[in-house]
Amino acid sequence: MSIDLLLEGLIFGVFVGCFYAAVSIGLSIAFGLLDVPHIAHASFLVLAAYMTFLLGSYGIDPLLAGLIILIPFFALGAVVYRFYYEAFEKRGTDAGVRGIAFFFGIAFIVQVILSLVFGLDQRSVAASYIGSSLGLGEMRIPWRLIVALLVAVGLVLALNLYLSRTFQGRAMRAVAQDPWALKAIGANPVMTKQWAFGLATAATAIGGALLIIVSPVEPSLDRVYIGRTFCVVVLAGLGSMSGTLIAGIMLGVIESLVLTAFGASWAPAVAFGLLLLVLGLRPQGLFGR
Amino acid sequence: MEAKITVRDLYAGYGAVQVLHGLSMEVRSGETVALLGTNGNGKSTLMKCLIGDVRPTHGSITLEIDGRVVDLTKLRTHEAVELGISIVPEGRRLFPQLSVEENLLLGAYRKAARRNISKNLDFCYGAFPFLKERRRQLSGSMSGGQQQMLALARAIMSSPKILLVDEPSVGLAPIMVSQAISKIRELKDEFGLTVLMAEQNFQEALRIADRGYVLVHGKVAFSADSAVELQDSALISQLYLGG
Repeated sequence: MSIDLLLEGLIFGVFVGCFYAAVSIGLSIAFGLLDVPHIAHASFLVLAAYMTFLLGSYGIDPLLAGLIILIPFFALGAVVYRFYYEAFEKRGTDAGVRGIAFFFGIAFIVQVILSLVFGLDQRSVAASYIGSSLGLGEMRIPWRLIVALLVAVGLVLALNLYLSRTFQGRAMRAVAQDPWALKAIGANPVMTKQWAFGLATAATAIGGALLIIVSPVEPSLDRVYIGRTFCVVVLAGLGSMSGTLIAGIMLGVIESLVLTAFGASWAPAVAFGLLLLVLGLRPQGLFGR
Repeated sequence: MEAKITVRDLYAGYGAVQVLHGLSMEVRSGETVALLGTNGNGKSTLMKCLIGDVRPTHGSITLEIDGRVVDLTKLRTHEAVELGISIVPEGRRLFPQLSVEENLLLGAYRKAARRNISKNLDFCYGAFPFLKERRRQLSGSMSGGQQQMLALARAIMSSPKILLVDEPSVGLAPIMVSQAISKIRELKDEFGLTVLMAEQNFQEALRIADRGYVLVHGKVAFSADSAVELQDSALISQLYLGG
């Protein structure tokens, strides 16, 4: 493998990695901070991508569409969490296992509805930054990946500020550690988690818009992203936003190098391989406390 | 600053297990009241009733605060905190994965406390200098005594009028118990608090209490109007000294 090819793989990996971080950040809140086994996260991503496609068919720019669906996705997240809370979490100890079944069911329903409404064909959106690229010496970086990088960095900065500077943000980081203690300082742990899950789902809406900006989508695309997003969140260490960005970049770079060296068919195995490796060697993740 | 709690004929428990059997007591404005008694006699259950964490099956708890009269048996925990009741929970209940400073800032979650946040933070760092030195450290990595002080400071961050302290001495070395109890007194004087403290270590509790109640089997078995009276009580010697 030549140095040029390696370097190109590396740079490309960083951009793709930022994209992975952006699509994982919602899960980093839902699973990492709140301990909710949200395996429907990738389905919500694909759902948001299709909503972006739907708005795109009315001529709305996909990034703007991502912002428009923020609010309905916030509401969706709040409702889904509330149901999960009333039906499982409130009743206690084995919420984790039952919760996985619940979210698996949601993921399945989303996929079926998307297949019925939009069909099985790939869908994509059009925008000035999709299809064109920026020349960088010998390399050409697609604009859509530059957009992904900017959005990822923006999301991480905004969430970091929110989680460290606001009362609601600090309560979100505390709630899984000791819900009773949160009550004792005057916060409502259930409302805190509901709000946080809403925010996580809103962040996922932006991730979904990026998903269809970066590549065409199909209803079963969640299967590819469930591994990648969980890999990024676990690698980051649960609940660390900056860690999510760095872990996303690591996954992107490793995937890109494996792809360059061994061919495209190996790339999907990287996320699961890395996930198992992290769980085995450093279960608290790279930036976990 | 008026802040008074009146408990009348309280019955409460957990499911089929009845813990409080007609308990009556009161905490008047500006007092430090000790709640004494050995394990399992209802001290913590009473505390939980006061903050709406356990619902009594019978009886009343009335809070008079700032000219308002509130039925505490109807409130949820965060609503009671919002009124100006702050609790230092048994076992401290810090957020172990958050830093010392983040724990303190969370203490000021209640709306009335947010405008005093920098003043209260400065006060806490003044009263507990080691907290300032360790402000970036994870609270779970401190010693038990330090965590107890942080729990006290966190409760103060909410600018309370009434401070409930549940078993501050549990798990602490004797020297730390003494320090923690003295700090409660200091904070009380500084902030003009009304304090109710449940404590098994009655010698330590008596150092700062104005008066106290001894609970036995979920009822007030003995009520003393002064620390001296508590000290001399035959019941105390019987319970604690086996005499």
